[in-house]
Amino acid sequence: MNNNSNKMFFLFILFFSTLISISSNSWFGCWIGLEINLLSFIPLISNSKNLLSVETSLKYFLTQSLASINFLFMILIKFSLLKNFDMNNIISIMMNSSLLMKMGSAPFHFWFPNIVEGLSWMNNFMLMTWQKISPMILLSYYFNKNFLIFMIIMNLIIGSLGGLNQTSLRKLLAFSSINNLGWMIFSIMISENLWLFYFLIYSMMIFMMISLFFLMNMYFMNQLFINNMNFFIKLNLLINFLSLGGLPPFMGFMPKWIIINFLLINKFYFLTFIFMMTSLIIIYYYIRIIYSSFMFNYFKMKWMNLLMKNNMSLINLSSFISISSMILSTFIFM
Amino acid sequence: MCFNSLFFLFFFSMNNFFFMVYFIMNGLSVFFEWEIVSFNSMSIVMSILLDWMSLLFMMFVSLISSVVIFYSKSYMNSELNLNRFIILVLMFVFSMVLLIISPNLISILLGWDGLGLISYCLVIYYQNLKSYNAGMLTALSNRIGDVMILMVICWVMNYGSWNYIFYMDFMKNDYVMFVVSFMIIIAAMTKSAQIPFSSWLPAAMAAPTPVSALVHSSTLVTAGVYLLIRFNYLLIDMFFFKILLFLSILTMFMSGISANYEFDLKKIIALSTLSQLGLMMSILSLGFPDIAFFHLLTHSMFKALLFMCAGVIIHMMNDIQDIRYMGGLSLYIPLTSLCLNISNLSLCGIPFLSGFYSKDLILEMVSFNSFNLMVFILFYLSTGLTVFYTFRLIMYVMINDFNLMMIYNLYDEDYIMLNSMFVLLFMSLLSGSFLSWFIFSYPYMIYLPFNLKLMVIYVSILGSILGFMVSNMKIYSLNKLLMSYNLSNFLCLMWFMPNLSTYGLSYIYLNFSQILFKNIDMGWSEIYSGKGIFNILKNYSVFYNVYQMNNFKIYLFSFILWFMILFIFFII
Repeated sequence: MNNNSNKMFFLFILFFSTLISISSNSWFGCWIGLEINLLSFIPLISNSKNLLSVETSLKYFLTQSLASINFLFMILIKFSLLKNFDMNNIISIMMNSSLLMKMGSAPFHFWFPNIVEGLSWMNNFMLMTWQKISPMILLSYYFNKNFLIFMIIMNLIIGSLGGLNQTSLRKLLAFSSINNLGWMIFSIMISENLWLFYFLIYSMMIFMMISLFFLMNMYFMNQLFINNMNFFIKLNLLINFLSLGGLPPFMGFMPKWIIINFLLINKFYFLTFIFMMTSLIIIYYYIRIIYSSFMFNYFKMKWMNLLMKNNMSLINLSSFISISSMILSTFIFM
Repeated sequence: MCFNSLFFLFFFSMNNFFFMVYFIMNGLSVFFEWEIVSFNSMSIVMSILLDWMSLLFMMFVSLISSVVIFYSKSYMNSELNLNRFIILVLMFVFSMVLLIISPNLISILLGWDGLGLISYCLVIYYQNLKSYNAGMLTALSNRIGDVMILMVICWVMNYGSWNYIFYMDFMKNDYVMFVVSFMIIIAAMTKSAQIPFSSWLPAAMAAPTPVSALVHSSTLVTAGVYLLIRFNYLLIDMFFFKILLFLSILTMFMSGISANYEFDLKKIIALSTLSQLGLMMSILSLGFPDIAFFHLLTHSMFKALLFMCAGVIIHMMNDIQDIRYMGGLSLYIPLTSLCLNISNLSLCGIPFLSGFYSKDLILEMVSFNSFNLMVFILFYLSTGLTVFYTFRLIMYVMINDFNLMMIYNLYDEDYIMLNSMFVLLFMSLLSGSFLSWFIFSYPYMIYLPFNLKLMVIYVSILGSILGFMVSNMKIYSLNKLLMSYNLSNFLCLMWFMPNLSTYGLSYIYLNFSQILFKNIDMGWSEIYSGKGIFNILKNYSVFYNVYQMNNFKIYLFSFILWFMILFIFFII
């Protein structure tokens, strides 16, 4: 059984484990944090009454433990082979690979859409945002620039191309999460402050979107078209998706803009091109989700009414934040 | 509305008259300058130049416009939106006044553009297809002139100020002024419809007759000539003036011939305006700006009167403008035919009417100074052609038999229209002598041999005889037009210029754009950037999904495989 006090307990350990991982001054501490993270997340997502969620938690456990084992071994090899300097490249590649698998980044991302498909929306939210913190920060402590740039390109391409053929909303958000991971890995290579900025905005956008889907209990794309959403929900959906895609007046444009600025100043032209083009493909399938909702004539079902789980005062606030935060953020510097 | 504007404009014109007399007598010239904004080193200044030339021109313009507005009270009385019409005409007069009094290029541009725009609005006033086409032709031809003036503004910025009157004497050898003079000449050519741009003037006859009387006889088309008169000190020895001479003489000749083939009353009058414009431009390019100004003023008087008479006749003929339906009107509408006769004869240059003073002076100056043979021949030939089409018109409209229906009402007692025509009649009789006493403080010395002096009269008599003979068309007359078909087409259709300006310019581009649209927009670019890229991406995505939907063990094993590869190749 999985009642609220259990959840509270395990959530607390989850948060604490990430903090252990990122604030330790030895690689062992990092590994310990990662293990505790895994151990506390599993009870959150497993629900013995539902076969799908059992299977999902098992898959999650297998992949993450494999990655952690690898991470531990790479740490040990690093300690023993430190004297030999041209091993540094290989060691860093191998450590980065195991961390990338923990995050769900390409080329080791194959578990990610599967697992996201089996979780509920709130668990997805945890998986997509909080679980990425500690691997990313550990990545920033010791990374191999060339390897990571190659991985970023793969992330972007897979995130954009994989999502074109999906109809499940969870898988769509999973692929968009893989794409955004590409941006985030690049930003953590630049500076940790920038990564923090990107990550906060990304998690805020994902939160707004996931809470919207959670309230409407929507898991698949066709459910969007047959519900009678009122105007504000549709507007909010539109704004959030466009913001996630990075369109200018909305909030999601700001971190992408700063990253592109850095890219262009440092002459990463080819990488800029790939960032841009994959962004376009992603926006295409976001718009495909929401286009029917912002046309004047749309399908309406007369025999079914949408029941919202809770009240939606949060929804209006979130769309307001999405629109105005670009302008409000300039007030930071005043 | 009509009464108010009549009185206001009439008193304005009288005011200008008195000031003009005072200024001429005392040799005064006033330059007002109003500084609107001044900020560090930039200042926006509005300036007004009042010398005898601008006051005289303003007097004539406001007199004609006051009379025309009063005339249109009766001519357009069945118009629902008469206020709109009157407001448009008043805005037109305002733009013209702004053009006349401005010594700098920016306010000239404001007046010039205003003229072009409002003449477009007035030409398309009757909203049918012909008016729309005519309006488009007018507006776009005038637009070329606007562009030229804009470019002149850019070039004159080199000198620091747009007041061109200060730079004209000093900068004649400068390259900037060379370019400026070229553009000013082209701008004046578009406005006064010289040879490359002359297709809009006959087409603009689709406008209502008061508009033609005001706009296309005296104000719009003379704006170009006025601009060249103002810029005359700059342009006087330049090469471009010789080109302008050539083109304007050809315009004069061509429109004289084309008017002989026309059967539409307003088109004949339009082509005669064009011919007189060519005359004005040619005498200007020969170096006599004051004679050109003189002819401009007298011509505006009798041409406006001619258009107004034509309007009365068109109303009476049940809105038919074809002269083959008219005839014998001198017996039935004596007052209108009086005005028509006097303006026609003044156009020909019959002695001591107003047109005689200016036209005869022009021809005598041409004979007296030594110009080449072509100039001489074409001047006299065009004068003869003027008399030719004028007498043809008089024969068709007033002397031959009446050709309309059995039941008709020739109504001459419309005193609103008649009173306005009488004002212009008075001016048309007297303005010749009156202006010659004012403008020329000393007369020109002309000494010609006897036959050369009488050349004008010979040519006029010849033209009148030909006009009489041509208008004797009977039912069994040989159709000479068909016998010389190609030549007649060339001469009658204004040397094909309307066709070139409209169909010739747009056909190539429209054809090309159709080819581009069919082949590229709806053709190859669909494969290379529209649906094609979508298909490619979709195929990639499907391909990726094949690898995504896999056994879970394979994912884990691939991870291990990666590490094994790294180990094998790089550590061992």
